[in-house]
Formats: sequence, C-alpha cells, structure tokens
Amino acid sequence: MAYQAEVVVLDPIGLHARPAGQIVKFVKEGAHDVKIGPNADELVAGNSALRLMAMRATTGSTLLVVVETDDDSLGKSIVDQIQEFLKG
Amino acid sequence: MALSSGAALKGLGVGLNSSVGQVWKVKPHAALPARAKTANGAEVEAQSLKASISAVARDLDQLGEKAGGTSAEIFEALKFLLEDDELFEVASAHMDDGWSAAAAYGMAVDEFGELLGGDPTFVERVADLQDLSKRVQAHLAGIELSLNLPESGNLVLVGEDFSPADTAQFTPAVIGVVTTKGGPTSHTSIICRSRGIPAVVSCGDAAQLETGDSVLVDPVGDRVVVGGDASLATQSITFVAINDEPIIPVRSNIGTKADAEAAAKTGADGVGLFRTELLYLSEKTQPSVEQQTAAYSEILAAAPSGPIVVRTIDAGSDKPVPFLDMGHEENPSLGVRGYRLIVEHRAFIEDQLKSLEAARQATGREVWVMAPMIATVQEAADFCNLARSIGSFKVGIMIETPSIAVLANDLAGVVDFVSIGTNDLSQYLFAADRMNPALGTLLTPWQPGLIRTLARIADAGNATGISVGVCGESASDPTFAVVLAGLGITSVSASPSQVDVVKTALSSVDLAKAKEIANSVLAATSPEAAKAAALDGLASA
Repeated sequence: MAYQAEVVVLDPIGLHARPAGQIVKFVKEGAHDVKIGPNADELVAGNSALRLMAMRATTGSTLLVVVETDDDSLGKSIVDQIQEFLKG
Repeated sequence: MALSSGAALKGLGVGLNSSVGQVWKVKPHAALPARAKTANGAEVEAQSLKASISAVARDLDQLGEKAGGTSAEIFEALKFLLEDDELFEVASAHMDDGWSAAAAYGMAVDEFGELLGGDPTFVERVADLQDLSKRVQAHLAGIELSLNLPESGNLVLVGEDFSPADTAQFTPAVIGVVTTKGGPTSHTSIICRSRGIPAVVSCGDAAQLETGDSVLVDPVGDRVVVGGDASLATQSITFVAINDEPIIPVRSNIGTKADAEAAAKTGADGVGLFRTELLYLSEKTQPSVEQQTAAYSEILAAAPSGPIVVRTIDAGSDKPVPFLDMGHEENPSLGVRGYRLIVEHRAFIEDQLKSLEAARQATGREVWVMAPMIATVQEAADFCNLARSIGSFKVGIMIETPSIAVLANDLAGVVDFVSIGTNDLSQYLFAADRMNPALGTLLTPWQPGLIRTLARIADAGNATGISVGVCGESASDPTFAVVLAGLGITSVSASPSQVDVVKTALSSVDLAKAKEIANSVLAATSPEAAKAAALDGLASA
C-alpha cells in the first residue's frame, strides 16, 4: 500500500539544491521509500538530489509524493515534512 | 638553468605591498587519463569507485570542518551530490558495459550535467559536480590534486595559474603569489587583491624558479627579484592632494542598491556606470514597468549626488537573462549582446527606458542613459532617437568596439556623451579574450595601442564638444587616472572602494602637469616604458 498526497513548491528559486538535499537527507535517515514527480507517471526516487533537481520544478508547481507505507499517519507526516522543505 | 641572485623577472603586479619569502613551486596537475574500457570487470570497478567516492567525501568532511559555519553546509550539500544514489546507478550501468570506474563516473556526471544544463539556478551546481567528478577520477588514477600547503612559514607560491579550488586551499603561510600565466583580471589576481596578498602575474620567467629560492615579490615594480630583500621593493606613489577638487570629476561604478549606498559614502561626483543587467539576471519572467521603476527609483535615490549614467542592459549568451531567449553562440563576446539585443527584444529595451524615465521623475535625479556594444554611427543614432523619444535624458553610448572608436568624430550632433569601457575595448582592439589566462600581458591598460586609441577618442571629444568618460577597470588605477585626465578625458568612474584614492591622485596635480605626463606616456612604445614614464613624471611633480 502507498500513501500519496500533493505538495506545492513555494521556494522562490524552485526545487534547487538546498531543498533537494534536505529531502534526500530526511528520506535516507528515516530509510523511507519515497517517490516524487509532477504526476504518477513521472516519479523519481526521493533519495537522489540530482533526480529531484533535474525535474526542474519551478515555484508554484504541484508535485505528487508517494510514500510506500501502510501507515497513513506516517505517510502524512513524511509528506508534511517534505512540504516544509519546499517553503524556502 | 639556475637564476642568478638579483635577477629581476618581469610580470604584472597585483597590489601595493611587497613581500619576501621562499618559493613553493606548484606543478600543474597531471592530466586525467582518457576514458577507457577495462577487462577488470564491473564488480572490481564498482568497488574502486565506491572507495574513491568515500575518500573524496572524507576530504569534503575535513574541508567542511576547517571552514565551519555556512561553508560547512556547502560542503555537506556537495557530499549529497557526490554520493547520490542515482548517479552511482547510472555509473554502474556504464561499468556493466565495460567502462572503467573513472570513465563511468565521468560519463554519469556529464549526463546529469546535461539534464541540469541551461538553467541559471543550476549553473554553479553543475560546476561543483564536474569538480567532484574530477576529484573522484583523480583519486582513481592516483593523481594528487591537493596543494598540501603548510600552515606556517613564508611561502611564495609559484605556478601557472590558480583555480578557485586551489586558492581555497591557501593557508596563512602564503605571503606571495607568482603566476607564469593569467592577467590582472584572472581569478588569482582578484583573490590576491581581495586578501591583500602581494602577487605578480603573467611572469613567464618565474617558471625557472626552484622551490626554496628566496624571492622578493614586488608588485609595484611589476617584478619578482631573485634573492631580493624588502629594501629593493619599489615604493608605491603616495599622492598628496594639493587642490580641493580633482582636475576632472571622479564618479562611481555601481550595480546594486548596496553599491549605490557604498558609493554615497565616498566623495564620488555621481555615478559614471550603473550596470543594470544585475537587476535582471536572476528574474525568470520579465519584470513589469512598475517593478522596474520601483527598483530603479530606490537605487537612484541612494546614489551619490551628481549625474547618474545608466547603461542599458548588457547581456549576452555568456551572461544570459532567463526571460530573454538567448540560445547558444560559438563566440558570445562577438555575438548578439548589449544594444544588439534590440533586434529581437525592442519592447524590453523600451520598457527599460520607460522605467528609467519614471524613476527619474520620481526621484528628481539627473539621469544620463547609454547603450553598450555600439559598432556604427547608425546604431548610435537609433539608440539616441529612441531614448530621447522616451525621456528627458542626456544620451550617449559606450565605446568598446574599435569601429566606433575610429568613428568618434562622426558622433558630433548624434550623442551628448560617450563612455569608454577599457576592458572590452582592449579585448576587441587586441583580439585577446579577456578570459584567456595566456593573454594577460596584452590586456594591461598601459599598452601603447590602447593609450593612443584613448587619446584619439579624447581628441575627437574635444573637437566636437562631446564629453568623454572612462568607466573601465583602468580608471580605478590612480596613476592611470592621471594619464587619462592628461589625455583629455573629461571624467572617470571607478569602483566605490577606489573612488577616494583616484580622487586624491587627481587632486595632487594640475591639468598642465597631467598633460605633460600624458605626453611622455604617449611617446612610449611598450607597456613597461609607458608605466615608467607615468611614474617618473609623478615622482618629479
């Protein structure tokens, strides 16, 4: 089962190196299985800062976050944290 | 061949202080091996790659610890790029195809560089990534990239030229720097100037120095003296103002509000060059006239009293503005840049002028506008007509191309003023790329070819009543500023940190003396002789 929800890139520079690094650090430290992308067909691994940056997500764009977990409350907390990193 | 004690090696000085120390020679790094396939097998290569990535990561940890604070965060971010899982995956696929670890990692980084390329947000990250790739490949090949400098001692580093990665490793033991290549605007020169390290660049004969030789680094004398001591150092000229006002106005160069505020704290008589492109380089979409007007009004209000000379956008494919689609050019410095953008982007340049007129009215400041990269009288006339139809400006052009320098007399009745950008004028006059470290000696302002060109433009200005300013790097050199005044240049514009020094220099002589000095400089046939003539003239002032 997977938990999924949308986040919005609020950082004025878009999804640049710093938020990408923060997301990767968070995903790796928690050993979470997270995928992120503009839609369900174009998801990239949340543990690769380079893949995240290469999406070139600009300010104001919406991203889909998919967390492999049965625990919806854990899933929600992970998505909330990722949204936090994207506030710039 | 050993150099005899007392030998003087000529170069270009950076800074006003001298130092004496022992030569520490830095050999150029061995070239990285070419990308090749290997019979070792993917597994062996993957192990080597992992080990080298870990080793480079440890280096980054150490650099981060040493740097501390926000720099430590930068090194941590670099580590994320270096150890990126997907990067390793892509490299693994290449190793499965038989490529060596170094080749595979290099190829993977190139691929991600491509994915991130063309986006100004990521330009620096791609450069970081390539630097990391080099470090990993060097580690795999057993090549030492670190300078391993001691923390204490009196070292004079001698090398071809130093990259940002090299200068980041300079320790307090580095009290002098000598490079065989690189000019006065090279990275090495900029770093040494900002850290106050005496340096001599473009000193080809320094290649003959050996580690341990004692040398005097004498930037004011443009030389390195083998076995020399501090008593031999050429003294910099101390200018003492004898008049209340400089013989020609000294303005300031600015690009941001912070610059305008810094300039206002100096004795600057207005602004001689306001570089506007800095306001646009980070914008993804074109700012509205209202937004531009607000930004300009703030800067105009903060600028030192006096006229403010604004240069319209000076961007090109090497300095791209995200919202103007500029594409790729083989030779950006010879491409569609500056005023040439008007063909594709007339509306943008018109908006810029409208915003400046609105800001002029809002602040009540005296605004002059000028266009960069003008090559013909027709272009000058087009710009002047456009600017006058939009606002109450004094209108002029930059002189950077040799063609318009030759035509300066024909600008009578067309422009109100011209401003000479000596950096670009030198680059185009000498056909010498400003970024090429091997060509530094051609780009010193003391080159007779440049000085005589400046004299002709000044004469044209005097004959036609057009005022002629100089806003290039050369006007920030107090000695050269005196020569400019003597040649008939009617104002100079220097960086805020140099305004007061230049002003003092121009208050230390009268116009007749400056003319006498300029005439002896004009007679010189080499840059060394030209500079010596100016220094001699000032010494006898």
